[in-house]
Parts: sequence; C-alpha cells; structure tokens
Amino acid sequence: MIEYRNVTKSYGGSPVVKEICLTIEKGEFVVLVGPSGCGKTTTLKMLNRLIPMDGGDILINGKSVKEQNPEILRRNIGYVIQQIGLFPNMTVEQNITVVPRMMKWDKERRRKRARELMELVDMDYDTYANKYPSELSGGQQQRIGVLRALAVDPPVILMDEPFSALDPITRDSLQDEIKRLQKQLNKTVIFVTHDMNEAIKLADRIVFMYDGKILQAAPPEEMLRSPADGIIREFMGKHVQKIRMEDELNCSDIMRTRIATISPQRKTLECVELMSQYEVNSLVVVDDNKNYLGIVTIEDIRDHGEAGQPVEALIRTDAPCVGTGQHARDAFRILVEKKADYVVVVTPENRLAGIVTKSSISKAMASALWGEG
Amino acid sequence: MPWNRVWEHCTLILTALGFIIVIGMLLGIISYLYPRLRKPILTVVDILQTIPSLATLGIIMILMGGNQKTVITGIVLYSLLPIVRNTNTGLNSVSPAVKEAAKGMGMTRAYQLFHIDLPLAFPLIFTGIRIAAVTSISVAVFGTFVGGGGLGAVIYQGIRVSSMKLILFGTAALMVMALVIDGIMGLIERRLYRRIGLQVPD
Repeated sequence: MIEYRNVTKSYGGSPVVKEICLTIEKGEFVVLVGPSGCGKTTTLKMLNRLIPMDGGDILINGKSVKEQNPEILRRNIGYVIQQIGLFPNMTVEQNITVVPRMMKWDKERRRKRARELMELVDMDYDTYANKYPSELSGGQQQRIGVLRALAVDPPVILMDEPFSALDPITRDSLQDEIKRLQKQLNKTVIFVTHDMNEAIKLADRIVFMYDGKILQAAPPEEMLRSPADGIIREFMGKHVQKIRMEDELNCSDIMRTRIATISPQRKTLECVELMSQYEVNSLVVVDDNKNYLGIVTIEDIRDHGEAGQPVEALIRTDAPCVGTGQHARDAFRILVEKKADYVVVVTPENRLAGIVTKSSISKAMASALWGEG
Repeated sequence: MPWNRVWEHCTLILTALGFIIVIGMLLGIISYLYPRLRKPILTVVDILQTIPSLATLGIIMILMGGNQKTVITGIVLYSLLPIVRNTNTGLNSVSPAVKEAAKGMGMTRAYQLFHIDLPLAFPLIFTGIRIAAVTSISVAVFGTFVGGGGLGAVIYQGIRVSSMKLILFGTAALMVMALVIDGIMGLIERRLYRRIGLQVPD
C-alpha cells in the first residue's frame, strides 16, 4: 500500500537518503531502526511531505504523495512525535479532535469520537476531557498524542521515536498499548527508533538503515538469526547472542577446549601423575592425530591397572559424547541425567573438540546474557 | 473640578490603544511570517520610541494640524514598540514541537497562526498591551500642547494660574488611572498565563 521508489534526499550537497526502495503492506508494523544520522527520520517525514524529497517518489495506494495537497495528505496520515507536541492552549478533548475540527465534523460527532478514543486507552472521559496537557503525566500526554493521530481513523500512522522521552516503565506499557491498538484497528504503522529492543518488540518487519541506505529489511527473528551485515550484528549486540542462546546455541559454543588429554601409549603411573597435577579423576585419550579414542578413569586404573602398563587397555569407550554441531541442550541433558562430570565433544571427523562441564555451560550462558565475559 | 478632562483623557488613550493593538500585532505577525522583515520593522518602531514624545507630537502637528487625531497618532507611534516586539517574541517562542505537530496534523499556515501560534503567544502580547497602555497615559499628557486636551490641559492650566489644587487633581487622576488600568490588566494577564500552564513573569 506504501511504496518508496528510489527516494533520495540531500542536505547541502551531502546525501542523507540514497535511492531508497521499500514496499509496506497494509496492516504492517514497520520499524525503521539505525544509528543517529542514518536517515530514518528523514525517510519517515518525506512520506507526509514534512520534508520534501529530491528524487524518486512515494506512492500511497498507487497515488504519488507529490500530487496531493500537503495539508490534506497530512490530515489523512496519523503523526506522533517524540516531544509529544500537544497544544498547550487546548484541552485534552480539543487536542484529540483537532483534525476532525479541521475536517469540519460537527460537535456531537467530535465528542463521540473523543469518548471512543479515550476508552481505547482506558482514560476516563469525564476525568480527563477538560484537563489541559500541563496537568497530565508524560505517559498520559503521549497517550493523548497517539489518540490525536488516530482521530480521523487514518489508515497509516507515522511515529517518530514517540516513546524515547518516557521513563522505562511507562515506555513499556505504551509499547504494549500501541501494538495492541495497531492489531485491533489494523493500522499500517511506520515507526522510527534507535532502540533495538523496541524494534524487536514492536515490528512485524525491521528496516535497518545505515548511512542513508537500507541494509536489511526482515522480520525481527530473521534479522537476529542472520543479520545481513556486520554493522547490524554490532548494533544488535547482545540481542544476537540472546536469541542464539534460546534456540541456536550448540555444543561447540559451550565447551571448553583447554583439557587434559593423554595418548594411549602412556603408562598408568604417568596417567595418575597427570590426573593429580590437573586435579581430575579422568583423562581423555586421543592419538597423535587428535582422534578421540575414549577416556581413562582413576577407578579403572586402581581396580584393573598394573604399574608400567600402557593405558590403552583401560580405555572406556562408553563415556557420554556429543557432536560439535549438536544442540547445547543435549549436552546439558546428558550432564543432568547421567550425573556425569563432563561430556566429550567431538567433530564430525571424530576428532576431540573439547568437553562440556557444568561450569563451561554457566560461563557460556553468562556471556550470552551480559555480553562477552 | 474638570472631570470632563478625565473622561477626555480616557477616550484619547483608549482610542489610541485600539489602533496600537491592531497595528502593533499586525506588524508583529508580519515580522514573524517574514523573518527578513523582522529587523527593519523592529528597528523603525525602536527609533520611534527614542524620539522624545513631545517632539513626535510637534512633528505630527506640523503635518496634520493641532487636534485630537494628532495626539492619537502620536501615542500610537510612540507606544508601538512593546506590542510589536512582544507579538514577534511570543510567536517565535512557541515550542518547535508544537509547531511540528501542528504542521504534521495538516494545519495550513493561517490555521496554525490563528489556532495555535497566536493563542499561545497571547499572554506575552497582552503584557505588551499592558505596557503600551501605561505608556500612553503619560504620553497623552503632552497632548494639550497640540490641541488634544485631556488631563495635560488641567495640569498646564494649573501651572499657568499657579493653582496647586488643579495640578494635584490632574496628577492624582493620572496616577489613579495608571494604577487602575495596570492593576486590572495585571489580573487578566495572570489568568492568561495560568491557563496555558506558564509561569507568570515578574
């Protein structure tokens, strides 16, 4: 329903939006995200012609915005800004019905609409309708800001960092509310933010902008799973790891690689010596090519071993073992169910990759949650 | 006691004030809508106020003859500055967020001016009107020299006949007039500021 066609914009010779192409479906919640100066706000404001574009075109339902009277165009596109911008000389009700008044709705219809809209966000009409904006909290003010944008039921709503000036708790509840309203009223929303959390929470599709270009446009899940560019990965930071924690973390991510190994030709006494040095009660046996052979435990040496005998004869091959590509959850389950001290991780070529212990799992989880540890 | 002179004085300044408000706000709005004109307009009204009011009246009298119109014109020219300046400042100080919202809602320039900018600037404009009103009262005193009458005539007559009674009557009447007008307008001003949630300036 909305189509950006090679839209460009420069300020004083330096381009801020470069040949942007983007199609937005009806009822879609699209979030433009990116570092400051990436052109996301400019991209938004060219839609309702608050900023004139230099080249290209934007079509709404097949009709170019350039061919429409800018005031009429804006009245039919909801607009919510960061600084809220309620009119301080008007009451809450007058603020909500400012566009209906311009469109010459009669008083009865306007009042009915204000009542309806205030019900949507659980604000009591009789309590708030005649208050002035200065008497409201920041969160209430922005609720009214949103209602004002919805007043004439426009199919498209533009929101320019609408919640970034609010405290985290208020922001959270307004995010929930706007998402609910968008679904309930089936609005097309274009939302600008620099907050990836907000984008992930709200978007049907995230459009990542950088240096005036769209680097990737994809649903949040997909963008987190496979960011198209290093810049996106960096911008998303810990979100990437978080989502991998949830469903993509595999054994190679959670294993430790510095482990005590021994070759099968070594003698039992050397083996005991090594175990006491590392303070462990078993060693992983590998041949000279790092091929995994099994493990040798202190119990086996004590019960069956003879001094001077190579450990080859004492190798156990039934130790718990997983592949590097296997899901981390599998290693975790084995550790818990078999009450094992560790799980050996091998590559598809049966080479030793590492071991997973309870402490290596906690380390991996900690770094996924709080960044590189 | 020449009470009719009190009435005459009141008529003079109220008539003048009517013109001042219309012309002053108009100039203020023009200087807001066309920022290039701001400087020339403000400079001219500024200069008008630096000319001694008696000289202003004299010059106008030579051009227009001695009558009440001359006095009114003089008061208007002399008292324009506070209204022009406050109108301009008031309109320019409307928050950019409010202006952006107004534009984003699809208001035309004129609609925004009358429904948003002017109502929000009005308290400050009103302060300008209040200052102009008080200034007019004293400027009108000189009106007697150009045939305008008013309380200046009472005081001047008192000086000529050495009548303390007349001088004091004229002076007291002027002071009461100034205090009453200033007081009433101050009250209105306070309500205006409070209505849009602003602090009342001292």
